[in-house]
Amino acid sequence: MAELELSGVSKTYGAFNALKDVSLEIADGEFAVFVGPSGCGKSTLLRLIAGLDPVSEGQIAIGGKDVTSRQAGQRPIAMVFQNYALYPHMSVYDNIAFPLQMERRPKDEIRAEVAKAAQIVQLSTRLQDKPSKLSGGQRQRVAIARAIVRKPGIFLMDEPLSNLDAALRMEMRSELTQLHRRLGSTMVYVTHDQLEAMTMADRIVVLNGGKVEQVGPPMELYHNPANLFVAGFIGSPPMNFLAGTVRSAEGATVSVEAARIGVVTLPFSGEHLSAGDSVTLGIRPEALELGAGRQVQFSVVPEAVERLGLHTIVHAGEEGRPFTALFNGDPKLRAGEAINVSVDGASVKVFDADGILRSRRAEV
Amino acid sequence: MPSRSATAGPFNRSWGAYAFLAPALLILFLSLLLPAIATIGMSFTDISFLRPANWVGLDNYFRLMADGRFQQAIGNTMYYTLGVTFPTMALGLLAAVALNRKFPFRIVFRTIFYLPVLTSLIAAAVVWVYLYEPYSGPVNGLFVSLGLGPQPWLSSPNLAMMALIIMAVWRDFGTAMIIYLAGLQDIPEEIYEAARLDGASKFSILWRITVPMLGSVTFYLMIILIVQSFQVFGAIYVMTGGGPLGSTETIVFQMYQTAFGYTEFGYSAAMSTVLFFVILLFSLVGTKIMRRGEG
Repeated sequence: MAELELSGVSKTYGAFNALKDVSLEIADGEFAVFVGPSGCGKSTLLRLIAGLDPVSEGQIAIGGKDVTSRQAGQRPIAMVFQNYALYPHMSVYDNIAFPLQMERRPKDEIRAEVAKAAQIVQLSTRLQDKPSKLSGGQRQRVAIARAIVRKPGIFLMDEPLSNLDAALRMEMRSELTQLHRRLGSTMVYVTHDQLEAMTMADRIVVLNGGKVEQVGPPMELYHNPANLFVAGFIGSPPMNFLAGTVRSAEGATVSVEAARIGVVTLPFSGEHLSAGDSVTLGIRPEALELGAGRQVQFSVVPEAVERLGLHTIVHAGEEGRPFTALFNGDPKLRAGEAINVSVDGASVKVFDADGILRSRRAEV
Repeated sequence: MPSRSATAGPFNRSWGAYAFLAPALLILFLSLLLPAIATIGMSFTDISFLRPANWVGLDNYFRLMADGRFQQAIGNTMYYTLGVTFPTMALGLLAAVALNRKFPFRIVFRTIFYLPVLTSLIAAAVVWVYLYEPYSGPVNGLFVSLGLGPQPWLSSPNLAMMALIIMAVWRDFGTAMIIYLAGLQDIPEEIYEAARLDGASKFSILWRITVPMLGSVTFYLMIILIVQSFQVFGAIYVMTGGGPLGSTETIVFQMYQTAFGYTEFGYSAAMSTVLFFVILLFSLVGTKIMRRGEG
């Protein structure tokens, strides 16, 4: 187990800045998830931590020791790859044993360690099989066992579930969370799937365009997204955005006029806002209720209604701007028939002209 | 039992495919199968085109078994085949591993290493005769400059085969390199990265990852090199003529001499038939092992 510290880490490929001045601390035993859209730099950052690529600038320390100039094999880490990266010509046993064989450990010790790791990932009966005989989930378990035997300070996982089908992904998500609890090791997990990030992470690191947008626990990011990017990225379906203008910002309330909803008074301190400022209002689809039961009321015309049993998703975009509402159960709604919806004023997020959240919720 | 219509069905449906295959099959039959059958037939006669041919049964084969010169040719062929095949594969693998990395001018190196394959064998052999020339040849020039004595490369029974092997390795290792390069590009980069993370040294990665993962490529290459080496003729014809003292006389060269030098076409056909079945057997066994390995 070990903590990870990144200080001013940058990575450039020619003129392209893949990562810009990333500084981050991940505590011992923490499950950190790097999340962001394709090309945001999350896998690059993981590769720098692993030592597979050299940093252009900055330092990486693991367990308090600077490892920036150390080779990949000399860092106290193990990595699980998206495509498993198993050695296809070796048996499951040899795949798991390989890192220990490279350390020239005694054969008896290797046998015992492999047996232990195989038991953890429930593959004790498949040790003599070649990877080609295993299912996708089993192959991923072999890759995890190969990481476990190294007893690394930090586990690095690069989208390890993205090649699995939906059902298996859910199963493996839970297994990885249990594994983390059981081993108590530091884990750094990369994914583009915000659902994986929300369900598994102790802390999420949201990356965009090579920069860290926000770091925090999942619920902090959900309730208090630092900016429009995080607000739009975290949560499914994504947050709805409405352009608006501040009418007044006095005391503990801010009055905003916005498309669709007209003038609303929202309960938060407007110390960073003043009348006439352009703002963006953010409303989570699941914060909306059918009917006029809440403070902010307006009507929408559904374009499409998706019934999922547990939930119903209503798409009601206007002038090319998407708008989504998510209701519990299966209310009788039809496309083309206007409905009244309402939302609690405290649930409406307000972002200033620079996209920074100004309606911070104190308790999450 | 399948009904007549059931068995005829696939043929009827595939007539287009058979029609497209027919020209190639006809050419193969006329150029390969028919001469092969004719050769096997000739091997049971004493045909020489100078006198009436007689049916001699298995006499040519009994004669082969007792023929010391033929046994020497078998030994020479084996020596040449082993001498060419394994160094060619080893050098091809090393060149491929080196040139699979990204560095400036690697395309230039690949082209240079592959150029000998593209040159005419006869032209290359003539150049190598000059290189091996005992008095003014560059090879001996290098030996002398290194303080070693000049060697009679092509005129010593101890060195001639070695000289031919060196020339063949120079010519063939480009082929091995290209085949290995194709194989290397099929190995995902992530496998190497995983091995690096697992603490494997460069040598361990080569020995434990690259070489085993190129197993089927290596086997394929070995078979084509062995079959090709079994059939060596052109370089020997140009460089040594089978000499000195028969030290470079291989099976195919002896076949040629027996047929066209001594006009013993029947006896030569028996040699050819033996070689044909040895190569066929070798290819079948090799293919079977390779398929089992892939399975």
